[in-house]
Amino acid sequence: MRLFRAIAALLVLLVLAACKANPPGKLETSTVNFAKHRFFVGNKKQKNPLPDTAATLADGKEAFSHYCVACHGMDGQNTGVPFADHISPPIPSLAANDVQSYTDGQLKWILDNGIWPSGMPGSKGTLSDDELWSIVVYLRHLPPAGSQGVPDMYTH
Amino acid sequence: MKSKFGPLVLSAAILTAASYVPTIRSQDAPQRIEITAKRFAFSPGEVTVKVGQPVVLVLKSADVGHGIRIRDIGVDVKAKAGQTAEVKFTPSKVGDFVGHCSVFCGSGHGSMTFVLHVVS
Repeated sequence: MRLFRAIAALLVLLVLAACKANPPGKLETSTVNFAKHRFFVGNKKQKNPLPDTAATLADGKEAFSHYCVACHGMDGQNTGVPFADHISPPIPSLAANDVQSYTDGQLKWILDNGIWPSGMPGSKGTLSDDELWSIVVYLRHLPPAGSQGVPDMYTH
Repeated sequence: MKSKFGPLVLSAAILTAASYVPTIRSQDAPQRIEITAKRFAFSPGEVTVKVGQPVVLVLKSADVGHGIRIRDIGVDVKAKAGQTAEVKFTPSKVGDFVGHCSVFCGSGHGSMTFVLHVVS
């Protein structure tokens, strides 16, 4: 009976420990990044059908401002997002190599489907294909960190 | 002979010319198309127009702000909540052109599409 109680207590502790949201370590991060780039995030070969022009970039910036800014900031680098470091995994800077090393097709796939179990939601149906591809162009030409100010929702 | 038929010919010419005027006007008058936008659909969702014939696209918003953007033919019109806006254009190529809502209007915004069929 005593052994049974000890095992039960151990199991409860294990479950509680698993629920704790610690920032992922380096090994966990690199393993997950590798798996995402190679296996989980599809659409690697699809090309962006929109031209890489100033007009598309402006469209992408506007589409990004609809609600992406709530988590990624106006600049895609989390500027002014109060919880960026407080969730697990933390919200990455979209200018970081881990993000920029995805192909255009993979970025579109992530925008469409999100990344489970991170907080990144899929936007297929919420934004049009046109808008999502224009966001991919914006991601390739992100402005300097901090240059776009803080999202309106965090200024009042 | 000349004096008898002169006024007759002139009258006939005037009548003929007058009868052409409405025809010319109707060809030049733009086709007016009214579209109602309501979360998350356009009504009607597709419209057929003729190439080279001017079109006035009237967009009525029945709730929040909406827009129609047809990238391939450079059409973009935006209507504020409960209001109407219009854009005039002349389709210059035949085909089926898909437009999307160009004002973010909520969770189904990305699925709001409109098709313009341009025929010869």
